[in-house]
Amino acid sequence: MSPPEQTHRRDFLKLSALAGLGLAASAEAKPDPAQLKHRAAADMGTPRPRPAGHKPVWDLQTEPQEKIRVGIIGLNRGRAHVASCVATPFVEVVALCDLLDERAQAQAEVVRKKTGRTPAIYSGDENAWEQLVARDDLDVVYVATPWEWHKPMAIRAMELGKHAFLEVNCGLTVDECWDIVDASEKYQRHCPILENCCYGEEELFVLNLQRQGFFGDLKHGECAYIHDQRGKPGASFLDAARDWRRRYSTLLQGNLYPTHGLGTIAQYMGVGRGDAFKFAVSVSSPEFGLTQLRARLKPERDRSRDEKFVNGDMSTTIVKTELGRTIVVQHDNTSPRPYSRINLLSGSLATFAGYPNRLAIDADNASPLLDPKEKRNSHSWSYEGEKLKKFMEANRHPLLTKLLADAKKVGGHGGMDHVMNYRFLDCVRQGITPDMTVYDAASWSALLDLSDRSVRDGSIPVAYPDFTRGGWKTLKPLPIVS
Amino acid sequence: MNLPANPNRRDFLKLGALASLGLGLSAAPSAEAKPDPRDLKLLSANDISATRPRPAGNKPVWDLTTKPTEKVRCGFIGLNRGRGHVNSAANIPFAEVVAVCDIVEQRAKGAAENVKKKTGKEPAMYFGDENAWEKLVARDDIDVVYVATPWEWHVPMALKAMEQGKHVFIEVSAAVTVDECWQLVDMSEKTQRHCAIIENCCYGEEELFVLNLARQGFFGDLKHAECAYIHNLAGGVLWALGSEGDWRRDYHRFMDGNLYPTHGLGPVAQYLDIGRGDAFKFVVSVSSPEFNLTQFRDKHQPNKGKHKDEKFVCGDMNTSIIKTQLGRTIMIQHDVVSPRPYSRINALCGTQATFFGYPARLAVDADNKHPILDPKAKHNSHEWTFEKEKLAKFMKENQHPLIKKIGELGKKIGGHGGMDFVMNYRMLDCLRQGITPDMTVYDAADWSAILELSARSVKDGSMPIQCPDFTRGGWKTIKPLGIVS
Repeated sequence: MSPPEQTHRRDFLKLSALAGLGLAASAEAKPDPAQLKHRAAADMGTPRPRPAGHKPVWDLQTEPQEKIRVGIIGLNRGRAHVASCVATPFVEVVALCDLLDERAQAQAEVVRKKTGRTPAIYSGDENAWEQLVARDDLDVVYVATPWEWHKPMAIRAMELGKHAFLEVNCGLTVDECWDIVDASEKYQRHCPILENCCYGEEELFVLNLQRQGFFGDLKHGECAYIHDQRGKPGASFLDAARDWRRRYSTLLQGNLYPTHGLGTIAQYMGVGRGDAFKFAVSVSSPEFGLTQLRARLKPERDRSRDEKFVNGDMSTTIVKTELGRTIVVQHDNTSPRPYSRINLLSGSLATFAGYPNRLAIDADNASPLLDPKEKRNSHSWSYEGEKLKKFMEANRHPLLTKLLADAKKVGGHGGMDHVMNYRFLDCVRQGITPDMTVYDAASWSALLDLSDRSVRDGSIPVAYPDFTRGGWKTLKPLPIVS
Repeated sequence: MNLPANPNRRDFLKLGALASLGLGLSAAPSAEAKPDPRDLKLLSANDISATRPRPAGNKPVWDLTTKPTEKVRCGFIGLNRGRGHVNSAANIPFAEVVAVCDIVEQRAKGAAENVKKKTGKEPAMYFGDENAWEKLVARDDIDVVYVATPWEWHVPMALKAMEQGKHVFIEVSAAVTVDECWQLVDMSEKTQRHCAIIENCCYGEEELFVLNLARQGFFGDLKHAECAYIHNLAGGVLWALGSEGDWRRDYHRFMDGNLYPTHGLGPVAQYLDIGRGDAFKFVVSVSSPEFNLTQFRDKHQPNKGKHKDEKFVCGDMNTSIIKTQLGRTIMIQHDVVSPRPYSRINALCGTQATFFGYPARLAVDADNKHPILDPKAKHNSHEWTFEKEKLAKFMKENQHPLIKKIGELGKKIGGHGGMDFVMNYRMLDCLRQGITPDMTVYDAADWSAILELSARSVKDGSMPIQCPDFTRGGWKTIKPLGIVS
């Protein structure tokens, strides 16, 4: 382990003071998802009062910095973030952590090769991460571990003065989401959700158009995480590496992975910034996928032999917003169908649908982005295929204009991981509020618990908690960032 | 008016007997008052779900058979939507267009003229006032009455026609309210007449292809389906004076739900054997805000500003989810005002395959060993196994028998790409053979009821509303619809 370098962090003293309270002394017990505390339907929407002394973080600014020092926990999902960080000149990968030593070593090698510097390594036991977050030379800790670890790691990191960049889902229950919000507000650290899909090329294009009023009045959105993850012999959902994730299919009955779809739609609609989720109602199909996969691939039933899968294959949820808009959110990772996040936005003047990309434009749409001489109507898609591609290039989001070439080189889900990481780290460098805050992390992730609750209670509508505690009414929409 | 032709209907005597009970002796004296959709009986969440007891003497009609007949004699009420049906019937050798009716004289004359051109025989015409149809249904030389009028007229007309011994083919939605759905079911069971919903979309080429595959077990265990009526009418039909605009837009002023569920739901219900082995259990529904009707009106002032005081309450996009007794889910949408292309979605998800429409695509599981697949072809479901040309070929190889038989003729005669003809041919052929039509009064009720059930859910803050069981338990034992031909 390399000793902490001399810190040039300007708020170091404050952080040391926090650390000195002895918060990090007790080792975190391994969290058990079977012990999660789920609220009753009537309590789901009840806001937690803001504890005395806490302050909102939606406009939290920090001192600008020249270099951002990063630690990363969880190097399976975290690999992409390592790749981004080493490709970003103002970022230094200071420390890495994984339960498996070989994963940590391999990523340290990546960093060394690319930057010439070897990061500190923490590995080998379930509490190794605590040493990483206890370092006093880190600005940001990435948390990319199994879901049950997200909350304890993020909160500890913030307690110890780090910003926590949290992989999806951020919190597993509404109460976990509140815990994360409270920690962020208490320690005045950022806790953005690492929702890479908000930085996809199409998503940024739609956001860019929407921010210019192209869609008119927004009424409806649709999104999903439809991804057949059953796999094949030797690389299937039944393998040991998937034990933790499969476990949720034995425990919960809703949308287990809502944010890839919901994050982008929430941004289009300004959820948390002028609008807010009001309630969610959810219905699940029967379960077939995992049970049949096991019967097919593991007739001897091996390690998954006693698992009973209770989560329906297809979960469909409808979210209603305070402004009355509707959002359909689906989850299906065990059905034979191609990947889709749907990514549909319906407004009074235009409609975009993804998979495949299509854009329909109302005859009355007078946006200056359109050729005024072109006749069109919405009975067929105005733009699709090559024509849409051209229109997308002409209306590319400024972030992409800046980063696209780099992003394609670095990769990670087609480049969107890098665009996201660059943007987030750049926000910390400039000291400005990241595009996604802890309130986004909480409200997008909370759909997991809310949909599960709705399904368990016979698909009743469940009121959405307001993690901004009224802040959404006055917060300004996210501008077109660049 | 033509005199009744010599009836060759074999169950004429029985019908005559029914009529002589006083039900149809004289329709005119008890003229039906013009129904006002605002007077429709909407039920509370408690009452809407109740399955009503079957009145004494009534008998189920799900396997009702009638005497085969050589010629099927048809009457048509409502010739805007009904034009296509008249045209279908005029092109079917075993059908005879006996009478046509519309409130607008020239529509009646136009339809009659078309029939005369095609068949050499001019049908009787009824027109000119709102009760002209009562004379049509009172005739004793008609086997089936098509009802293709504004929605609020569907049920009164259908009831009267059945009372007077006719089978009824009702346009969609068959009924506006759950109470009306029960009236249809009860009358059909009482009079032992068919009351089929004429859901043409069940006879679309793609829909029949999917049904054909589903019936052969191609999809494995069915889990989820999606459907819709997404059709931008905001700049056209909904403002048409003297036509659909007059009455159809009105529903947007007092109901907020899925105003037109059956085009999407009918085919999907058939894939899932709703009413025949499975049944709708409950529905939840959520509506978006209303924008486009108001915005179009304010910008374009259709009909010289005549509609400036209309207030629209129906959300532009309504999304409902139906859960079935077997646990499957159906997402169903309605949006007739947003700027987007037509879609019924038409998605079916099973353990072995997934089909989506608009555009048509089929994904096949790597493990799908169905005999209609080439066993040497490798496929996985991470991309669409069949789409575009490849799908067109596969669809052709696995065409539904009905399409093989009359699909070409349907395309020639037309009507929504031919599906109107295929449907009418099949429905009338069922009457000719005396067999039960593919769509019964229970389908008419199940599918149409989603209108009021969704509106109820929206009104009650998107609570789940239990679906009434119009088969009164029959769905548990009724056999699935076969692959008809």
